[in-house]
Amino acid sequence: MSLPDFQLLRPRTVAEATELLAKHAANAQIVAGGTDLIPSLRQRLFAPRFLIDLRAIVDLRGIRARDGGLDIGALTTLTTIERSPEIAQKYPVLHQAAKTVASPLLRNMGTIGGNICLDTRCLWYNQSLQWRQSCGFCIKKDGDLCHVAPGGSKCWAAFSGDTPPALLCLEAEIEIAGPQGTRRVPLSEFYTNVGDARMKLQNNELLTRVLLPVRTAGWSGVYRKLRIRGSIDYPLAGIAVVLKRSNRHVADARVAITAVNPAPLLVKGVARALAGREVNEEIALQVGELAARTAKPLTTSALTPEYRREMIRVFTKRAVLEAAAIDQSLPRAQPRGPSTVD
Amino acid sequence: MSEFSTIGRPIAFVDAAEKTTGHGKYTDDLSMPGMLIGKVLHSPHPHARIKSIDTSRARALPGVVAVVTGQDAPTTYGILPIGHDEHALALDKVRYVGDNVACVAAVDEATAEKALALIDVEYELLPAWFDPEQSMRAENDFVHENRPRNIEKEYHHTFGDPDKGFAEADYVAEARYIANEVTHAAMEPHSTLAAFELDPHTGKPGRLTVWSSTQVPYYLQHKLSLVLDIPMSRIRVIKPLVGGGFGGKSEVIPLEITAAIAARAAHAPVKITYTREEVFWAHRGRPRTIIDLKTGAKNDGRIVAAAARVIQDGGGYCSYGPVTILYSGALLGALYDIPNVRYDGYRVLTNKPACGAMRGHGTVNVRFAFESQLDEIAAALKLDPAEVRCRNLLKPPCVTVNGLRVLSYGLPECIDKVVAASDWTEKRARPVQASEKLDLKPVSEGHGFSRAEEVSHLCHSERASAREEPAGRNPAADGRRRGVGIACSHYVSGAANSIIRSDMPHSTVNLKVDRDGGVVAYTGAAEIGQGSDTMTAQIVAEVLGCDLARVKVVAADTDLTPIDLGSYSSRVTFMNGNASLRAAEDVKKKIASAAARRLDCAVADVVFRGDKVFRQGAENVARAPSPAVDRPPGAADDVARSSSSAVKAQGRVEGQILRGSVQQKRRNEDEGSRDWMSFEEAVVAAIDFSGALTGTGSYAPPAEARGGQFKGAGVGPSPAYSYSAQVAEVSVDEETGEVTVHKIWAAHDCGRALNPVAVEGQVIGSVWMGLGQALEEEMIWKDGLLMNPGLLEYRSPSAAESPEIECMIVESIDPEGPFGAKEAGEGSLAATIPAISNAIYDAVGVRLREVPFTPERVLAALRAKKGEKKLNMTRDVDPTAPATFPEHGGALCFKGKGPARHPLDVARADVARAPSPAEGDD
Repeated sequence: MSLPDFQLLRPRTVAEATELLAKHAANAQIVAGGTDLIPSLRQRLFAPRFLIDLRAIVDLRGIRARDGGLDIGALTTLTTIERSPEIAQKYPVLHQAAKTVASPLLRNMGTIGGNICLDTRCLWYNQSLQWRQSCGFCIKKDGDLCHVAPGGSKCWAAFSGDTPPALLCLEAEIEIAGPQGTRRVPLSEFYTNVGDARMKLQNNELLTRVLLPVRTAGWSGVYRKLRIRGSIDYPLAGIAVVLKRSNRHVADARVAITAVNPAPLLVKGVARALAGREVNEEIALQVGELAARTAKPLTTSALTPEYRREMIRVFTKRAVLEAAAIDQSLPRAQPRGPSTVD
Repeated sequence: MSEFSTIGRPIAFVDAAEKTTGHGKYTDDLSMPGMLIGKVLHSPHPHARIKSIDTSRARALPGVVAVVTGQDAPTTYGILPIGHDEHALALDKVRYVGDNVACVAAVDEATAEKALALIDVEYELLPAWFDPEQSMRAENDFVHENRPRNIEKEYHHTFGDPDKGFAEADYVAEARYIANEVTHAAMEPHSTLAAFELDPHTGKPGRLTVWSSTQVPYYLQHKLSLVLDIPMSRIRVIKPLVGGGFGGKSEVIPLEITAAIAARAAHAPVKITYTREEVFWAHRGRPRTIIDLKTGAKNDGRIVAAAARVIQDGGGYCSYGPVTILYSGALLGALYDIPNVRYDGYRVLTNKPACGAMRGHGTVNVRFAFESQLDEIAAALKLDPAEVRCRNLLKPPCVTVNGLRVLSYGLPECIDKVVAASDWTEKRARPVQASEKLDLKPVSEGHGFSRAEEVSHLCHSERASAREEPAGRNPAADGRRRGVGIACSHYVSGAANSIIRSDMPHSTVNLKVDRDGGVVAYTGAAEIGQGSDTMTAQIVAEVLGCDLARVKVVAADTDLTPIDLGSYSSRVTFMNGNASLRAAEDVKKKIASAAARRLDCAVADVVFRGDKVFRQGAENVARAPSPAVDRPPGAADDVARSSSSAVKAQGRVEGQILRGSVQQKRRNEDEGSRDWMSFEEAVVAAIDFSGALTGTGSYAPPAEARGGQFKGAGVGPSPAYSYSAQVAEVSVDEETGEVTVHKIWAAHDCGRALNPVAVEGQVIGSVWMGLGQALEEEMIWKDGLLMNPGLLEYRSPSAAESPEIECMIVESIDPEGPFGAKEAGEGSLAATIPAISNAIYDAVGVRLREVPFTPERVLAALRAKKGEKKLNMTRDVDPTAPATFPEHGGALCFKGKGPARHPLDVARADVARAPSPAEGDD
């Protein structure tokens, strides 16, 4: 379908943007890279009267060093993140995750802010108006039933961003600008795990920055993504692993999963399972079990839920082993600044 | 130096610059003053009777010029004379989600879309049929009332004595294979622009011109004439550049007729371009297919009998269905020498978009089953799979058991080439001791060609293949196991019997030569990216010995070009190529007789070469000055340089136009008899003699190639067949089931490679498309609703996972092909899927009988083999022993309750939903 009619607004500063949002909150939609929103507009998943295009806010672009950590503007493209030597060195898991998003062309357009705020996806939702009409619509949009979990009243559309699990592992915080100024929240408190109300962001608020702490800088990390096609695809399951090692033992660790729940989720109990131990196949598999138990894949995408859960297990095991191996073979430069917090 | 000047060289396509720079115009790029945009209303129901359509609200919307429905063109049509069951817009019934109901022509797209929402259609829902085997048991509510049990066509063929054959077999393999549905996914979506000229006498719409992305301009002209009730002579169809067809544009697609109906009603040009979702509904792709296959062999690997029962889920309309199901049978037993064949084919109607022709039409899914089973037989008999294929070769010239005439047969050489290039023996076998190598005996010499080295090569591998379970080998360090697989395929070079059942020539080409030596070829052949325009130009240039740059091709415009049946069934190079050749010979004869007088020699002694015409024996004189000809082929810049120098070589004969040819003639006479003359001079001489220089040539397949007399014998016969052999090397991750294809070696017998780079492109494209069907592509259905109607969720392979494809061209020089050429565009596809499945078996020992081999299917099979925890696939489908087609696992609920229902929700229409036979899952 053609794009719906809307008025394009182009603020030049964050203040202008929040002002516009405050004015049009209920009728506005934010566009950054547009790689997710534009197809959705054509499918009439949204029909906003105003489209607030952030791309003129130069302030929100780029990666800056801050207190030993990094500060990433929400408009920074995934290509910029993929190519940043600082990120590759300090936060390899984010580098890896950014590299797997969609395809090179889409990464040139897509932004980190957009990837964090990505709409949840479902085969019954990401379809044209005509298609959704044929199936009687769904609970996430225009309807009152869920085709994935019939009888339930919860939307199970899967969060399918690649970078958020990496950011969760890195204990990233995000900065949100609103009418009352800015606030910071840990990314782990941003998502709701409800498919049709995926994040705690008011309609008059704006994600402006991603803050990576010094604490996790230099941790080894691996991102693994299940997909059928070698490029372009959203993850059908994704896992991020980061490890901090002390001598031969794991000092601290995080695992987060994506595309198998309505939110990217940190896997509980990973640090406990790994801390103080030397990683081997058996321990890695235990972590895989933890991750698989956290995953609740449903028929929201291609490949069966059983298989996707199984891959969370296998990919986690492999990623844990690989992260441990990376750490051993490639000693990294210690991050500067106060790194003794743990 | 090659015996040819233009053919056999890698030549850039004549439209390459236009396409690669973005200057080329496809149908959707076209626009006319006053043009309206057409949008089509589609059915939300898989099967329903239309009780009423009220378009009044839509007509009232400002900007809407016309709204048309089935009543505006009630005549049925279809690509086959026996299958006229379609309406461009539904008249009384809709038969799939997406069926065409009405069309709005409005000033812009947004207005047209708004108007669609204002059309009120009242449906009476009918029970719908989704699974072909259930559909075949239907007793009422048929998809088409005149097709009881929903069977479009069934054929039962027996050749030889299959029962006796199976009784004589030492080993019989039997299994069910399932191939899921795939579609063409051509880059360009369908698009049509239709415009009427006003009749000078009545002021009403008169002559119709249609620009359309089609593979078959003449069929389109014919169907438009039928449905719109206008004589063909008053319809002009023009095919602009086409961005890929692969069979999806090889018949008349509803939008092509709808655009014309809407243009007639609106009194204005109307353009319709499908969205990608609409392209999926227009479909005509490869039907999902059930193949129950049984093959019997002797201990030495010789096949004695094959029997197949094939069910194709054809969707809601006939389309090419009967042809597809016949190809599946006709090509089943004709690749190898199989004495006894039984074939039972059923083309079944269901409430899904219509299937039709797709690259490798009819042969691909059955070939997957057969080549897999052959691999199984080789494993059971402890023979090398390559050698088993060599032991079952045809011995041409011959006629196969089902009446197909085979003259050229490059399959043995194809097998040898891929076996040698892929290190097949080394990769399959344990290291062989040097002493064993001395002990080789060549096997059967009966293939009619000399290949002692290769035979010993195969023999060697046969010895080495007596080994244990394949899964014990090749454990790699990365937890992946590697394997190689081989498979073969073949395809027709055009159908010997046209679908329109006419004796007219299948192709005709006209040539016109201008005074300055410019040659124009008028051909109805539809260039769809395969290179047919280039092929025509090359053949004409070769015959006339002139520079390629002299030849301009005017193609696929029914006002200008003679009838050609179109670009499908790989017919263009063979048929249009032969017609081009004959047209050029016709002109050449006229030039030669004029030139002979000037050169003072017999007509037979006039030679055309290097953009010159000379007396036989004077080649050296003639050749020297032309830089374009003698350069060895192959260099990348050769193409560019030869065409630029060709432009220079095209300079006019001095004064030929302004001062006329009298002076020219006088000058030549002054110089007396000569050894040679330039091409322009020869052309002028001929034009001065005959007044105009034109020629024509046409082609119809010979009677001997047209097959047997039994019912259904018309499909399968071709004047020539291409042959392919492929080896795939894969690795399988045993923990995830992911299959990586590392390399594919593909050898293709195309008769003669007129343009090797085009042949390689076609072979690589075919292999790549086969790779997509083997590993990723699959239309996923839920009760007739297509779950993945877009290129994000319908996954064609990306460059990232595309393996290296090493293409080897085999030239068997067909006696009837133009310069010996046969098809190259489709035949390779069918071998890729079984080559990959056989390689998976070689790597990990599981035999996958359901395609595509997605990671979950591979893992489920591996788990089953190892007796590990079962991986629950949807509906317990076992990919090693599939029973029925998988359906998507969600719930399709037409009814729900609550206040939040969308105004467009079909459940709000308060229509009672009739029980569907497929209801009850989830």
